[in-house]
Amino acid sequence: MRCALLAAGLAVCPAAWIPASEAMTKAQIQSAAVSDVITIPSPGEFFAALDDCGQPNWKQMFQPKTAASTASREQMALMLGVLVADGYLAVEAQDGQGVKNTGKEIINLAKKLGLARENDNDSQRLLRRGNSIFDFAENNDWSTLREELEATQNEVKLLMVEQKDKDLVILVTVGAWIRGTQVAAEFISKNYSPGLAGILRQPAIVEYLLSVLDSLPEKLREGPLIADLRKKLVAVLALVQTKDRAPLAPEAVQELAATMLSLVNTISSGEKVP
Amino acid sequence: MKKLVFFLCAAGLLAAQDAVPPPVTARSRALDLAGAFANDGYKIRDGFWSGTLEAGKPQFLQVNLFSGNEYWFSAAALPPEAKLSVTLFDESGLPVATEIFQDGASAAAGFIPDTSGKYFVRIALVAGDKAEFCLVYSYK
Repeated sequence: MRCALLAAGLAVCPAAWIPASEAMTKAQIQSAAVSDVITIPSPGEFFAALDDCGQPNWKQMFQPKTAASTASREQMALMLGVLVADGYLAVEAQDGQGVKNTGKEIINLAKKLGLARENDNDSQRLLRRGNSIFDFAENNDWSTLREELEATQNEVKLLMVEQKDKDLVILVTVGAWIRGTQVAAEFISKNYSPGLAGILRQPAIVEYLLSVLDSLPEKLREGPLIADLRKKLVAVLALVQTKDRAPLAPEAVQELAATMLSLVNTISSGEKVP
Repeated sequence: MKKLVFFLCAAGLLAAQDAVPPPVTARSRALDLAGAFANDGYKIRDGFWSGTLEAGKPQFLQVNLFSGNEYWFSAAALPPEAKLSVTLFDESGLPVATEIFQDGASAAAGFIPDTSGKYFVRIALVAGDKAEFCLVYSYK
């Protein structure tokens, strides 16, 4: 860790590993800020942890989803998140064409949501992001691509807020998290180890996503897609909320993988929610 | 050698820029600090957390970290006379050991979690009465 600071000519504190002195109070824990763009890990962060612990075959795992034809704006927003996660997968697989295709899908879907209009100045920002993704993929610049994908996702969210579609913002985050978790859970269910399963223990994220879904307008919240999503996330919370921070058991990982796959299929294929 | 390369690159970038430099903000300073870690393979998250700090009133942010990853939380404050500290706590609010960097209005904490899950970042003013702050984080 120190190498980075030294390389930049910065000095590290001589006493390297220093614990903070006082514990947080309950009030401080309860009032801690939560931010969609920083509290929720990016799929890239998720995959980096998986890469470190499990050495997955990313080329084999990169099986991109394509957006179903739908008029549902919430389904499109969820799908945008799935596609962003697919972009990260393509980067891990170092599949330049895969990144380009996914980038194109993201822009196409953004256009359907009215976020990327050719003659609109604000939309140009997103179109430029799409071009950057293409260029970085052309040059196999994998590290920059990870940052560009997240920047593109945040640009989409910003444009959603600007066009008064702020309720869709969280759905992009949810879609990306679902796809990232599905890919990770599927890999871990086939290559189980307690260390790997620990990565899936994310109750705080599920609680946060549920709380934001609960705050959506009633009409949106009670539509079949979001209601099904919410129901499944409640089941997921029970799976990932383990005692004493223990990793998920093999059966729980399998159940999580199956639940996440069913959610991804619903989002991407436009299957009717039962 | 790395130091030399860094300064040469920085000089090259400065020369390539147009006459008007971008305004210095707490975010740009935090990103400058995080950029140092990028040289060591850390990827900077696009999101950031910002606000106003007052003396004796630290602020806390919830984050979710993965075991297997390494993290740096980089923060900066304006005015430059302010002095910051960045510390980390586990999900029950107990402090965790971090590698620290502190340079006046810039500070960072490095952390390698043993367990995936919820953590808290505390950012506090060590010197000064009030300051704007921004925090970004990077991982590898």
